[in-house]
Amino acid sequence: MAQISSQYLTITGNTGCFNNFINVNTAISDEDNQIREWLSPLKPHQRHQDVRAERLDGVGDWFLETSEFRKWSKGEDGSLERVLFCSGGPGVGKTFLW
Amino acid sequence: MIDNLCDQVEEKNMAVAWLYCDFLAHQEQSATAMLGAILRQLVSIREIPEDIRERFRKRFPDRGLRLPDMVGMLKTAISLLPPVHICIDALDESTPKSRQELLESLRDIVQESPRTRVLFTGRFHVAEDVKKYFAEAIIVPVSPTEDDIRVYLSVRLERDTEARAMDDDLRRDIMRIIPETISEV
Repeated sequence: MAQISSQYLTITGNTGCFNNFINVNTAISDEDNQIREWLSPLKPHQRHQDVRAERLDGVGDWFLETSEFRKWSKGEDGSLERVLFCSGGPGVGKTFLW
Repeated sequence: MIDNLCDQVEEKNMAVAWLYCDFLAHQEQSATAMLGAILRQLVSIREIPEDIRERFRKRFPDRGLRLPDMVGMLKTAISLLPPVHICIDALDESTPKSRQELLESLRDIVQESPRTRVLFTGRFHVAEDVKKYFAEAIIVPVSPTEDDIRVYLSVRLERDTEARAMDDDLRRDIMRIIPETISEV
């Protein structure tokens, strides 16, 4: 509890707001959002939505069945497939795998 | 692939983060920002680690994050999660400087957390860069199959705005010749 109140005080202190009715949870999640923004302005989730919208059903699914990808995604300790580089020539649209 | 991995997260106890490199966003895509995008996803999975919260509170407001700080925070986040799978698309679209820094940082992270997995896609010429930092990397050549191309073509033809220019013979030729020719390349 002590920890939560100190977070509350820090945040209200920073914004110069001492309104006693501020909900503690809201104050904390505001800080979470600020931390995320601070970490990076990039938003790969949005880009993924765009890629997903363009993707055609079934295209590239064979890749998910390759032994390289299966071993890589399984991630067994000591397996060699820790790092995969899927390479293609210009224009083959490697993003089709995503 | 991303959706496939996300579907496995619960069952296999793993975490997934991804990144799209982009020619058009070079200014935004420093290695620090790219790694930050990965970290941003990882801290959204569970509570933000206390160490990262502390660093945020002690930050200098007029100074951006530096690469070593970012790598340190990534290591912290990864150590608290099940095995993290990082996917990076179009590595060749990053600038050479960002690419070297990104690869070096990832190597550092994988050495510290050997359960971490990294998958890149990119053109052939950046394979050497990957090999320089990850000698053990497995190179998987990928290209669309004839079936992939057929699906793609049929959707494109369906959406053709000049439908009058098309007849059955032309459509048949397109659907036969293009997939064969491309898959021979």
